Amino acid sequence: MASRPRRWISTLGAFGAALALVLTGCSNTAAPKPTASNSTAPELKIGLSADVPDLKPSRDQGAAAMMLDTMIHRGLLGYDAKGQVVPALAESFKASADNKSFTFKLRKDLKFSDGSALTSANVKKTLEFLATSSSGAKIGATMSQLASVDTPDEQTAVVNLKNANVAFPSYLADTTAAILPDKSFGAQGTSWEGAGPFKLDKTQKGVSFTFSKNPNFYDASNVNFDKATVTVYADGQARLNALLAGDVHLIDFVPWESFDRVKQDANLTLDPQSGPWMYLHFNVAKGGPLANEKVRQAIALAVNRENVAKAAFSGQASVVAGAPISESSPFYNAQLAQGWKQDVAKAKQLMAEAGYANGFDAVLLTSSQYAFHQDTALSVQPDLAAIGIRTTLDSGDWATRQQKAAEGRYDIAVAGSAGVVNDPSFLVNFVTGPAANNRSYGFDDPKLDDLLNKGLQAATDADRKAVYDQVQERIIQTVPFASLVGRSQAFAYSKKLSGFANIPGFLTFESGYTLVGARLQA
Amino acid sequence: MTRFVLNRLLLGVVLLWLVVTVVFLALHAVPGDPAAILLGSEGSGAVTPEALARVRSQLGLDKPILVQYSDYLAGLVRMDFGTSFRSADIQVLSYIGDRLPKTLELVLMAALIAVVVGIPTGALAARIGGLADTVISSLTTLGISMPVYVIGTVFVLVFSLQMGWFPAGGYTAIEANPSAHFMRLVLPAIALSFGITSVVARMTRSAVLETVAQDWVRTARSQGLPRSVVFRRHVIRNSLNPVVTTLGLEIGSLLGSTVLIERVFTWPGMGSLLVDSVNSRDYPMVQGIVIVIAALFILINLIVDILYGVLDPRARR
Repeated sequence: MASRPRRWISTLGAFGAALALVLTGCSNTAAPKPTASNSTAPELKIGLSADVPDLKPSRDQGAAAMMLDTMIHRGLLGYDAKGQVVPALAESFKASADNKSFTFKLRKDLKFSDGSALTSANVKKTLEFLATSSSGAKIGATMSQLASVDTPDEQTAVVNLKNANVAFPSYLADTTAAILPDKSFGAQGTSWEGAGPFKLDKTQKGVSFTFSKNPNFYDASNVNFDKATVTVYADGQARLNALLAGDVHLIDFVPWESFDRVKQDANLTLDPQSGPWMYLHFNVAKGGPLANEKVRQAIALAVNRENVAKAAFSGQASVVAGAPISESSPFYNAQLAQGWKQDVAKAKQLMAEAGYANGFDAVLLTSSQYAFHQDTALSVQPDLAAIGIRTTLDSGDWATRQQKAAEGRYDIAVAGSAGVVNDPSFLVNFVTGPAANNRSYGFDDPKLDDLLNKGLQAATDADRKAVYDQVQERIIQTVPFASLVGRSQAFAYSKKLSGFANIPGFLTFESGYTLVGARLQA
Repeated sequence: MTRFVLNRLLLGVVLLWLVVTVVFLALHAVPGDPAAILLGSEGSGAVTPEALARVRSQLGLDKPILVQYSDYLAGLVRMDFGTSFRSADIQVLSYIGDRLPKTLELVLMAALIAVVVGIPTGALAARIGGLADTVISSLTTLGISMPVYVIGTVFVLVFSLQMGWFPAGGYTAIEANPSAHFMRLVLPAIALSFGITSVVARMTRSAVLETVAQDWVRTARSQGLPRSVVFRRHVIRNSLNPVVTTLGLEIGSLLGSTVLIERVFTWPGMGSLLVDSVNSRDYPMVQGIVIVIAALFILINLIVDILYGVLDPRARR
């Protein structure tokens, strides 16, 4: 017995020594640092910002899931690098004169990655699934207008809507409208098989996804990677480190504070676009001061947006002082885009006119889980105090924030979101519908709803422009939300990767579409 | 000894039930609707009441809480921990079984470093004293006080980005590539070991200093035993009890607190899974992880108690 502890310690020591030898051996025999620069095989390595335990294209709204959707799936239409709608599984499409019927001609011999045929029957089934209110589809509001899908032959699908929707092709170009194989509907839309450029070979749960080129993809000759590996790096700095160390070629969600670091690296490209936008929304159902549009106007005029950009986004955000319509959009109106330009004196005057010259107390809902949400709240807090609104921060985790916002347990809330499409018709989701965590609680403006509806039905571009000018004017007046900034959303990638592009505006999350045609230099 | 072990095991089962109940109730008490989290992120897609109701029904959240609780307990008895809310394809137990070895590997490697480095260092400080003691004490103070994410970040900066000796993070399965696996393990294991190694070294130093002052040590020396033999054979051995206790507790704590190092090095362990699961209100996954951590904690403490008997036969009486 006397020797037992000694043996125990000796064993530990021996094990430690052996381990040290193994590690030393590994260190000595290690291959050179795995850099992107010495990669000659056409294998693309992507560092992704989040794990994707379940792929449900119809529901996916996060950047990570949408990246995988663009790799595995395809819909009738897609987006090019500039954000223009382009044919995908559909070779061509044609809208009826009244924009209520859309005829899609499928490419010949389309197949899913498992080799099964993709026909108009799959299109019909998918679109009908998306139109079901219980499917939770991201484009459910648009698809709820589906009247029928006719399939005169295997290559033709005619989509009939209850009401005109000139922006309908934009919605079908979103990843959410991927055409799914039949078996996915039995799994509530879960599908790891599709008709996209890659097929999933292997998943290391929570770690990585390994893809190979899908030979059945309609544009397979334009896919320049035999293999693609997507590794999950949830931490922004870890993701950036992986790129800097050459472990991956491309990362999404570059942390704002690291933009300059990437720009300084001669081997890397920083590709930013103004993506999701930050705003304040209000609980107007309580009937107090926030139900008064003059108070909401005062808030929209009081906030210092430059400060928000600096405090929450290291300056990597652009001021949005009106409805969030991109400068590149044909519906952009330079004058209306400045509708809420900061004017504290006018804000104070509006507070007085509304009967709140002495201000009031309010709960400002935000989330501590995302620093930029909390920092946005901290930035606007003194601006609101300057016009007499004394706010108390309610800063829980994201799930708590979402529930409180959906139940109206707040006065003012910080939010960040993106339109489903760049077309201004996306605004409907922020002003009307059942109670939701991303729009003002209890807000209802039938006139605005009516204008947005007219925008979908306008016959010409000029008519649409006129309607959306009225929409922007109405938003500035009734303030269903108070825009703050458009936050920069950046990819960073090795200079050896060409052809990949960050699609502008809210379509940044669809950028995976541009992997088709992208290539790596040896 | 057998009766002692059985008693401890029985107590462990009761403790586990308490843990399960507290975690179940706590999760349901905090705000945050798992269905709403599943259906929307920052996106602006419409989430209809019908879709929410359907997802809640699929997850079983539409049942009364007592029914959910009894269903869950009945499942546990059958070793059925349920499926993750985030994917019906993910069985909680098998997913934890996949993640747990990765965390255990990290923790055990850190513990091994703590034993191999901490015990000799602490003993050396106590025996030599003077400048060596001061230096070692200062280093261990630094090791305890420096946050693990700072150490990890510095390691990445120096050894990955500057020197290029190791990958910046990530995980490679050992069966896929043993060399790459160990290369990715080294930095997080060493970074994680700083705190525990310092604790072990300080505990060893204190215990050795206390043991050296005992009368029987002087007796042994007066009987002509060389100082090194007395130190190695008697002092060290008699100093290890508190060290083993501390080590056991520290390992237990590490199991639930590797999350920061897992984040910094993108190591797919259980800590980061727990945080992600809490954020997404994945009740079955959170409950499963807590049960496993609690069970391991109880097991480690049992092993520590048994080790007492090995190191000090009086403890077995």
